[in-house]
Amino acid sequence: MKTLLKLSAINRSFGAIQALKDADFEIGESEVMGLVGENGAGKSTLVKIISGFDDGYSGEFEMDGAAVRFPNPARAERAGISIAQQELSLIPAMSVAENIFLAGDQVPLVATKQVLARRARPYLDEVGLDSVDPSIAVNRLSVGEQQLVEVARLLAREPRVLILDEPTAALGESDSMRILAMVERLAASGKSIIYVSHRLDEIFKISHRITVLRDGMSQKPRAASELNVQSLVESMLGRELRNMFPPRASPARDAPLLEVRGVWPDATVEPFSFSAYPGEILGLAGQLGSGSGDILAAVGGARGIREGRIAFGGRSFMPRSPKEAIEAGIAYCSDDRKLDGLFLGRPIRENLTSPALDRISGFGILRRGVERGLASLNAEKFTVDVSRMRTEAGLLSGGNQQKVALGKWLAIEPKVILVNEPTRGVDVGARAEIYRKLREFADEGKAVVFASTDIQEITGLADRVVTFYRGMQIGEITAESISAAAVLEQITHPFSRSPEAAQA
Amino acid sequence: MTGGMIGGARDAATGYVDRLVRDYSALVVCLIALFLIVFIAGMVTAPNFLTLFNFKTIIRDAALVGIMAVGLTFVTLSGNFFLLSMKETAALCIICFATSMSAGYGFEISFLLTMLIALVAGAAQGALIGLGGNPIVVTLGAAGLLFGLGSWWSDNLVVSFRRPHGAEWLGTGSFLGLPNITIAFILIAVSAELVLRYTKFGRQVYLIGANRAAGRATGHENFPMAIKVCMIASVCSAFVAIAFSAQVSSAHVNYFSSEFGSSGDMTIMVIATVMVGGNSIMGGFGSTLRSSLGAIFISTVDNMMVLHGFNSGPRVLAVGLMIVFSIIVFALVRRGARAQE
Repeated sequence: MKTLLKLSAINRSFGAIQALKDADFEIGESEVMGLVGENGAGKSTLVKIISGFDDGYSGEFEMDGAAVRFPNPARAERAGISIAQQELSLIPAMSVAENIFLAGDQVPLVATKQVLARRARPYLDEVGLDSVDPSIAVNRLSVGEQQLVEVARLLAREPRVLILDEPTAALGESDSMRILAMVERLAASGKSIIYVSHRLDEIFKISHRITVLRDGMSQKPRAASELNVQSLVESMLGRELRNMFPPRASPARDAPLLEVRGVWPDATVEPFSFSAYPGEILGLAGQLGSGSGDILAAVGGARGIREGRIAFGGRSFMPRSPKEAIEAGIAYCSDDRKLDGLFLGRPIRENLTSPALDRISGFGILRRGVERGLASLNAEKFTVDVSRMRTEAGLLSGGNQQKVALGKWLAIEPKVILVNEPTRGVDVGARAEIYRKLREFADEGKAVVFASTDIQEITGLADRVVTFYRGMQIGEITAESISAAAVLEQITHPFSRSPEAAQA
Repeated sequence: MTGGMIGGARDAATGYVDRLVRDYSALVVCLIALFLIVFIAGMVTAPNFLTLFNFKTIIRDAALVGIMAVGLTFVTLSGNFFLLSMKETAALCIICFATSMSAGYGFEISFLLTMLIALVAGAAQGALIGLGGNPIVVTLGAAGLLFGLGSWWSDNLVVSFRRPHGAEWLGTGSFLGLPNITIAFILIAVSAELVLRYTKFGRQVYLIGANRAAGRATGHENFPMAIKVCMIASVCSAFVAIAFSAQVSSAHVNYFSSEFGSSGDMTIMVIATVMVGGNSIMGGFGSTLRSSLGAIFISTVDNMMVLHGFNSGPRVLAVGLMIVFSIIVFALVRRGARAQE
């Protein structure tokens, strides 16, 4: 295999922080190279250097054996390196074809919509969107399909190297499958792909080789077949990962702490019912759009409820706003920390005490000492660096941001924590800490209810699982019978019977 | 862009220095540099500039705009943009105050009546904004309404009341050589800053301004906040109206429209002050202290231009340049902070 890109001894520092230390990276032609590492390990920095977004590095960068340096993304693109960022850059109201040719290089000056649609066709086929009409607006597609359109747009520029940065972070299981299928197809057609992801199962499925970054240093790329999840995680963390998930509990289920009876949140097909008991972690499993997150938001007061009844601690409770839920002792942590989980421009300390201003003030006056104490206490519990309490939350890495977004809820000493996607975009180390924290919280006799699209998380963390499929509640799986297969069946195709079942 | 400076300061281990350097360096350096340039230029070129009397003039000129800017800062910091009805609120209030004074109700009654009108006007606008109304549209509409009311009430005539009257102490009185209006400005500026820094309400202003959705998720709704901040801004407007009326013993709806204070339209001047101070127009970042300093800065520049005999055209231009300058510097500072991620 011929080496296409080769970076050696790359150094990059931001102030006192050295993001990359003598890091090496290479990728061959038509190879899929997995790039993994914890948050803050330097993946983003490396990817930015390769794609021309960051020019402040030192070191060798060769393409086809010749030294190159890309001062801006446009130059990298001209050389054949394209990157699909985590955040989509599509224009929602414009058509698929228009989005694909947004840059406008490969189209005639005057082109009708039909011409554009015809030209977009091959690229759509290439990413597996054969059934999508190029003339419909992008916002009518699912998030996964939009992600594929984003890639199709990059393909239109005929790149040789394609960088996919966490392409499946916001996707459900079936959309993720499409992305993976596309990656395989593209690699087969001769493109080199750098695949950055926190989802290790994916990395193993599609990568030929894997490069691990740790604390800004790179390790020699190894063939995916030589590694397993355990050894990969160990080389990412630099230590042995005993068990990501804390042991399950089997609490006595006498009196439910939270009873959801026929609650019908906006945007779901039917009402839902389930109970959460003190001391347990209840998992709501479902793909994107299954309604598992909507019911959490509804119970947390963040989403309207059409009908139904919620009992909390035996008393009827219908929150009309998050404020009411908070006052009752229910914390709801949404799946989008940037949207409504954090005050990015404010210091970490203010984030950590934000839901509990009443606890840190008397007669409307903030008590600084009390605030400092409360914030430091909860920061320590979630292993957030206490010396950085005055730093803006926006400057933290994704994993630490999530810890702050979750940790702030400890300030109100809730009896129930509702978490939607507890570890989206969070690295393995922080993930294990978050799981341990949620377990400790349940062990204190409180209830944790979390919704997740991550099968590993559902099967590893939950004591009991309730499954959802396209806005409908499907079933319940209890501790002994929780398995990836059982959960997957209920959340992906609950109504297709197996042959034996059909005969019965 | 401030990476190098951070590196040097990190050893000092004080997060405070870090933050100061990161958040303020470029802005503070530029503003102080600019201030010094203006100051020295003023000293060298205008012989009357460096006198105690002139300083008092500068602060006094800054006072009225400054008080309104302090009030408006609450609205801006809480992420509710601007009240475009500051001037019109003041117009209705000054008519109310002067009419009441000329009818012989005395200072206390007139004051309370005027404040009541301001509170109602502010609460109504705040409620509409809090319900999701666009602040520009709502306050532009309110501006027309309030101005129309004031104009109708006064028949578009000057309302005057005779000296001596109960409001003279506020308008023309002084204490220890400082005009009472200046003292009022200082007191209001200081207490506003204390409220923002040390009270639960102040913290809520920042949190909701920084991220309204996260504010709601953590139990801080924008609806009551919008009402409160609009009331604060309106009350500051009303106070300025009263103080000004007390000074000139009369009122007209156009007092705040032109040829007032430094130059031109009051609403524009107040917004300019908030922006020159370097407050984030998106909310969540800034302080009333910045607005107060912005007012003094604008006033200093203006004062110097007056001493040099510039007429209002170039003076308005200068204010415009200051806004543009502060926006650019502010954007650079924020980008510098972001680049560290």
